[in-house]
Amino acid sequence: MNGFMEMANVALERIEFFLMDRGIYMLTFILFAVGIYGMVVCGNYMKKLMCMNVMQVSIIFFFLTFGQKEGGTLPVTIAQLFSAEDYINPLPHALMLTAIVVSLGITGVGLALLMKIKELYGTIEEENITGKGGGL
Amino acid sequence: MSWFGFLEAHAPLLVILFPLCGGLLCPFLSKIHGTWGKRVVMVCLFLSVVLSIWQLVLVHEQGVLHYWLGNWRPPYGIELAIDGVNGLVVALVSVISWLTALYSSPFEVVSKGSKGWVRTAGYYSILAFLSVGLLGMASAGDAFNLYVFMEITALSGYGLIAIGEEKGPIAAFRYLLTGTIGASMYLLGVGFLYAATGTLNMTDLSIRLETLGDSPLVILAAACLVVGFGIKMALFPLHGWQPAAHSYAHPAADPMIAGIMIKVPAYGMLRFFFYIFYENSPVMELFFQAIGIMGALGILFGSLKALRYSAYNKILAYSSIGQVGYIAMGFAIGNIYGLMGAVLHILSHAFMKTGLFYTSGALKYKYGIHEITSFGQIYKDMPTTATAMVVCALSMVGLPPFAGFFSKWYLAMGAIENGQYLYVAILILSSLLSAIYFFRIFEELFMGKRIEERKKDGPLPWQMLLPLGAVAAAVIGLGLGNSSLVSELLKPTLLEVFLV
Repeated sequence: MNGFMEMANVALERIEFFLMDRGIYMLTFILFAVGIYGMVVCGNYMKKLMCMNVMQVSIIFFFLTFGQKEGGTLPVTIAQLFSAEDYINPLPHALMLTAIVVSLGITGVGLALLMKIKELYGTIEEENITGKGGGL
Repeated sequence: MSWFGFLEAHAPLLVILFPLCGGLLCPFLSKIHGTWGKRVVMVCLFLSVVLSIWQLVLVHEQGVLHYWLGNWRPPYGIELAIDGVNGLVVALVSVISWLTALYSSPFEVVSKGSKGWVRTAGYYSILAFLSVGLLGMASAGDAFNLYVFMEITALSGYGLIAIGEEKGPIAAFRYLLTGTIGASMYLLGVGFLYAATGTLNMTDLSIRLETLGDSPLVILAAACLVVGFGIKMALFPLHGWQPAAHSYAHPAADPMIAGIMIKVPAYGMLRFFFYIFYENSPVMELFFQAIGIMGALGILFGSLKALRYSAYNKILAYSSIGQVGYIAMGFAIGNIYGLMGAVLHILSHAFMKTGLFYTSGALKYKYGIHEITSFGQIYKDMPTTATAMVVCALSMVGLPPFAGFFSKWYLAMGAIENGQYLYVAILILSSLLSAIYFFRIFEELFMGKRIEERKKDGPLPWQMLLPLGAVAAAVIGLGLGNSSLVSELLKPTLLEVFLV
């Protein structure tokens, strides 16, 4: 039992190390790939739109991840901390705030278009509209 | 400070702000009175035309204009940087936006019922926002700002495509998906560059990238940027959204969508790769190879595909894929002549394609035709439209007095100087192919069977004749005046870029 716990601990440590080193970027890119894959493969326009959102979220994660650093604190001047190393650069977060707003706008326009398509064709399944499914 | 000085000092920002104000005011004024909204948009776009031309004169006199928003110094603040090349692009965008706003007014849906003003107001607002996005993309000196303006452009573009013909919403939705991938790839590329350098200002980026050389991060960033801009400018393997979007967009807004919405991202690509990335770096070698293949295949694909269709808009849309290929080929040639050819082609193709889509819209407006088989001898009924069509089409083929010839001439000169004779062969072959598909149109136009039941109800309204004439004149003027344009503005600016 003890040996098992030790092994689990080592494994957890390794996973943590992997995530802290490069792994978190891997996960972000897997998310990005899943998004694009879904957009190409799904035949339903609503699903395509949702996959597009997944892809956009992965880019937001990417920016937030490289904006993070160990031992950094809020970018507000604190009396005892003088060096730039003690603070996190707020710019990636600020940029992503804008990107979230942009992606909200795009999703809104996309949904409006879907409503219009539904009104015109009575369906949002790609095969029923164009005669073939999948693809961009 | 006097008014004059104020305008001069803030010209780069005001060029963008005027259409933005117009677009925001338009719905409210339209609610009060049916035509006030569209008038305010037209006035604002006209002011932006005047300012952009004035700004171009200033650039010619004083060199690069750097405008710091809120007087925050770059690299911390946001910067708008105008030099000889993007000054020209800004002027081009504002002129075509204004002409298109004017051209749209006869198309208006007659406002029956109480909700008629909503359509008019929406249309003109979106048109103004499209021009805001394009102007911002052309003048931004900050990589993230370019992203925001790119999305403003794209969102207004989706709107204008969706209100078009019956298939419009589907074309718009597919463009939304593909365009969002493009913008996300661009953002990812900017993210890599930011992670590598810690700055977003383009001038600062170029300084800091020199020390990084061929780091994999930079190469990855360059690849993302090629895909991002490639999707936005409909470069060959990434063009999937373009034919439907350009054929089914609202006929009044189509000239602007087809003419300049794919040219400004092309300028963005030029700016990123030749202003920011270090010349002779491994990144640029890869870029030249990739973009050369994409451009050359795109030229052949677009020209061959255009032969297959008989719908006028489809022919024009596929020919755009080929023409964007020329611009990409100019980048791939990569010497001063190649770049001058690419920039000249951005300008000349914008005018030619806008002009051709003006004629397409005019034909739709007057007789509701969009198949070239029903063009039979239409020059007798619509002489101005036919003249403009002939001028623009001959320029697309590349006959000497027109603008299209000179941009191809510079491209060929650049290719010969680099010893890339394959590019010259492709240039000539595709010119012949475009001659075939445009002469098919001419055949119907001048020798087809005349359809008698066309009713004669006078010429087109002047709001449509003026843009048609102006664009045809611009195509001829750009052709005749290209040597002074090149020697005064393009060559000094681009040489400076090369020496940096």
